[in-house]
Amino acid sequence: MESSPAAPDPADARDALAAAEQARRRLTAGLRLPAGFFAAFAVAVAVQLGTAAYGIAAQTVAGLGVVLAGLAFFLGTAALLLHRFRQTNGVTVDGLASQIVLAAGASASLVYLGALAGGIWAAFESAWWLVAVAAAVGGVGCALGARRWWRAYRHDPADRARGASPGLLGALAVAACVGFAALMVLG
Amino acid sequence: MVELDPLIHAPTRLQLLTTLSAVSEAEFATLRTVLEVSDSVLSKQLSALVDAGYVHSRKSLHAGRRTTWVGLTDVGRSALHDYVTALRRMIDAVD
Repeated sequence: MESSPAAPDPADARDALAAAEQARRRLTAGLRLPAGFFAAFAVAVAVQLGTAAYGIAAQTVAGLGVVLAGLAFFLGTAALLLHRFRQTNGVTVDGLASQIVLAAGASASLVYLGALAGGIWAAFESAWWLVAVAAAVGGVGCALGARRWWRAYRHDPADRARGASPGLLGALAVAACVGFAALMVLG
Repeated sequence: MVELDPLIHAPTRLQLLTTLSAVSEAEFATLRTVLEVSDSVLSKQLSALVDAGYVHSRKSLHAGRRTTWVGLTDVGRSALHDYVTALRRMIDAVD
């Protein structure tokens, strides 16, 4: 059992806090995103949006297969990006994983939902160029949202490091895949 | 009189917990580099913090070698917050 320490001199307290802050800054300043991180993320979101719009509008088993394939591509890309981040830096940041897998930022969520709704509408109208535009806008919007989050995280890591746990994200991914698979089987 | 948590009082432990507050988990080797301490010093400080429930640790295999991943628990995060608040109050009282 450690005894209660004597209160430090205020100058020592200030030094202790400064040293701790400096250690945290050393860690976060050294964090690097793998090359092409945001571009790969934008493409993955765009593919997922485009396939979802096509598949939902097709309303066939094959269409649901396309939706599932797009979802698998997105999840695979997200898992690969997060794995490379972990390998590169020797840390995990749940907040980053939430941004990538769930498009957790308010603006990114709005852009994603808007692009999905627009894409589905365009697919029902067979306006395929518009589906592509909606998917691209959604992908770029989500990537910009993630980039904005990353900058904010670098500025204030302690407040932004937390997010959905890997277990929860994995469960959500499995639930999404099982849900679409069930739709395929039932359809 | 401000009460300071004796488990966090050692400078290395304060730096360790503060560093961990920026991430969800960090590899042992990453922490060792950032904190600029030896394996034995980091192991000793981590053991004390794990025993107190401030930090969790797990073993993992990476490229054929065993690595240890460390993260702050909710109890540890709260203890760190209280400690830093107490230190700041102490500084503010003098300023």
